Amino acid sequence: MKKNRKLKPIIIFFLAPALILYSWFLIVPILNSLRLSFYTGNLFKAEKFVGLANYIKLFTQSPFNERLIGAFVNNIKFFVVLCIVQNLTALILAIILTRKFKGSEFFRTIFFIPTTLSVLVVGFLFNLMLNPTWGFIDKILKAIGLEVLIRPWLGDPVTALPTISLIGSWQYIGIPLILFTAGIKGIDQEIFEAARVDGVSQIGLIRYITLPLLKPIIGVVIILTFIGNFTAFDIVYAVASTMGNPNYTTDIFGTFFYRTTFGRGTASFNPDPGLGAAIATIMFFVVFIGVILWLAIFRRKEEE
Amino acid sequence: MKSKWFLIVAVVLAVMLGLTVSMAGCKATTTETTAAKTTAAETTAAKTTAAAETTTAGEPVTITVTSWRTEDIDAWNAINAVFMKAHPNIKVEFKPIKNTEYYAQIGTALETGTGVADVLGLHSFGTGKNIYNGGHLAKLNDLVTGLTDLSAHSRAAWATEDGISYAVPIGAVVHGIYYNKDIFDKYNLKEPKTWSEFIKICDTLKENGETVIAQGSKEGWTLYETGYNDYGCNFYGGEKSRQKLMAGEMKFTDEPFVKAFEAVDSLTKYYPKGYQAIDYVSSQQMFTTGKAAIFIGGSWEIGTFKNMGLDFKLGWFAPPVENEGDKLQYCWNSDIAFAMYKDTPHSAEVIEYLKWLLTPEFGQKLMENLPGFYSYVKGDYTLEPLAQKMLEASYNADLTERLTYEKLSDKEPSGNSLMYEALSKLANKEFTPLEAAQHVQSGLETWYKFK
Repeated sequence: MKKNRKLKPIIIFFLAPALILYSWFLIVPILNSLRLSFYTGNLFKAEKFVGLANYIKLFTQSPFNERLIGAFVNNIKFFVVLCIVQNLTALILAIILTRKFKGSEFFRTIFFIPTTLSVLVVGFLFNLMLNPTWGFIDKILKAIGLEVLIRPWLGDPVTALPTISLIGSWQYIGIPLILFTAGIKGIDQEIFEAARVDGVSQIGLIRYITLPLLKPIIGVVIILTFIGNFTAFDIVYAVASTMGNPNYTTDIFGTFFYRTTFGRGTASFNPDPGLGAAIATIMFFVVFIGVILWLAIFRRKEEE
Repeated sequence: MKSKWFLIVAVVLAVMLGLTVSMAGCKATTTETTAAKTTAAETTAAKTTAAAETTTAGEPVTITVTSWRTEDIDAWNAINAVFMKAHPNIKVEFKPIKNTEYYAQIGTALETGTGVADVLGLHSFGTGKNIYNGGHLAKLNDLVTGLTDLSAHSRAAWATEDGISYAVPIGAVVHGIYYNKDIFDKYNLKEPKTWSEFIKICDTLKENGETVIAQGSKEGWTLYETGYNDYGCNFYGGEKSRQKLMAGEMKFTDEPFVKAFEAVDSLTKYYPKGYQAIDYVSSQQMFTTGKAAIFIGGSWEIGTFKNMGLDFKLGWFAPPVENEGDKLQYCWNSDIAFAMYKDTPHSAEVIEYLKWLLTPEFGQKLMENLPGFYSYVKGDYTLEPLAQKMLEASYNADLTERLTYEKLSDKEPSGNSLMYEALSKLANKEFTPLEAAQHVQSGLETWYKFK
């Protein structure tokens, strides 16, 4: 106890610089944005206090309420695709790539490369590849006789969002892959050996040893995906612009927020920073509640 | 208990971190405004001292001009070179910003007072007025006296209702239809005058397996500006209907406007395969690489097309009228004007420049370097042949502006965005023409008064 008390000033001394910077550049802006959501005004001067009017507008007035719900639903769809495609594929790949075989290191590098590319570059490339006139994806489908599958991927309201989610999954698969690989490598090899001696099958090893011991990492990956997804903006912006083309079917919180705060492009410029701040605040609470729920579920399981 | 609280605090902090990192842009509007204001004061102080130094040293003063047309850098450099030659004490730099970020950037710059250009390009009506209402643009009525020589109509696009002009009108653009002469010649087709002739041409091209119209619906604005506001004017009745709409005496659900939606709808079958995923730039590329026979667009594209180096003959005709003998309803859109930053340290030089923008010398240089942009200054000009043809089409036409630019887009949901939505849903067969019209009408009724 005595030792602890002596340590306290030192701990505070070392924490202070980071804490001050963190508060000034992160917490103060967030609180300021919360304050801004109660104001309205022209251009970037929101000076008129309106109480909850921005929130009432967002939840009750058409078309704002439709966009808000649309963005929320699209974010959830996006999240589901990321969880299933990106995270599940990453898990399977991690299990395969942690086996020792020739080239496993090489493949791990290959899968990580897209993550290092700029989102704008990725968006631009996929826009070209999926172009109905000269994109090569449709040409490949035609060449292998799957012409029936050809569709305007990024223009069809049904396929646009899944397509963008898949592009996102492709780009960022490297991150869960690295986390899973590290997790699997952290599992004591002796457990596997003991199980093998006991005659457990390959599938059994994965089912009864790898997955249960990987659970904390899986939880972390899911929550990181959740936060990343609900605060995403870049990939939709790069592929479908801030309008969420076609017709808001790829609109997510990030693009809705941007469009509202900074105005939409050139032809009708009506920026509404107060309303935008209200959207940002809703985003914050959605993520916050999601994280709390996740904690409640995972912590209870851990306690069990 | 204590650990639980720590945990909650930790979660809040973590979530905040995630939010703030992903919305780096947002910071500009929140705390940075206060932080930036002090730096703004410092920079203006620095600027004025710098300005004082340069004038004493006899070196030229640099003024910056910005607009949303990044493709115009060479043209504006050539235009400004003429000005600089006559005014060796002033150096003009043209620094455009990507169009999708243009207003967000200049808005933030004006509000924080950092990195503001001295001369700012503005769109007509509501968009430009919103920037003026921010209170950072100079009133030009007394500063640039030549403004009164322009027509009242052209001044009104960048003025308040009580007549305060905040920008010098630079150029107007006009809408029409481009075609590939080589493809037309192949099937012996001639420029159409009426809508039925036009449809006949489209049918002939389609029967022969050509891609008829390079147009997509991925971006709603293209269907609006180069569709509804192009040939659509002939159906909804041009300027007369636009005035009645603004006065609240007509509605979008009235027959003429629905008819224009029907006209747009009737062309969908001539669009290329997968048109839902084709954006504006892709459709331009389709046309310029000879993959489609017709491109519905505007005069601002003359320069773009020429720079791409076409290997076919480019033709153009005015939007076909509904019936033989009808007067052409021609969308002659007020496109760009230059405003002055109120707190510019070089106001004298900027005013000198703005005055020059009202001389015939500038008019000629503008139309030479940016064919398809029409100067508001009266004068004897030699025009690029296609631009000349577009101008001649206006002699026997009723001129109008884009339908929802004035007044009807001053608030959200704006008339413009409602039109984009309606037309893109129309193209995707989610709306009938009547439903499209109803969508725009009901959206506007949430804030605009109709009788």
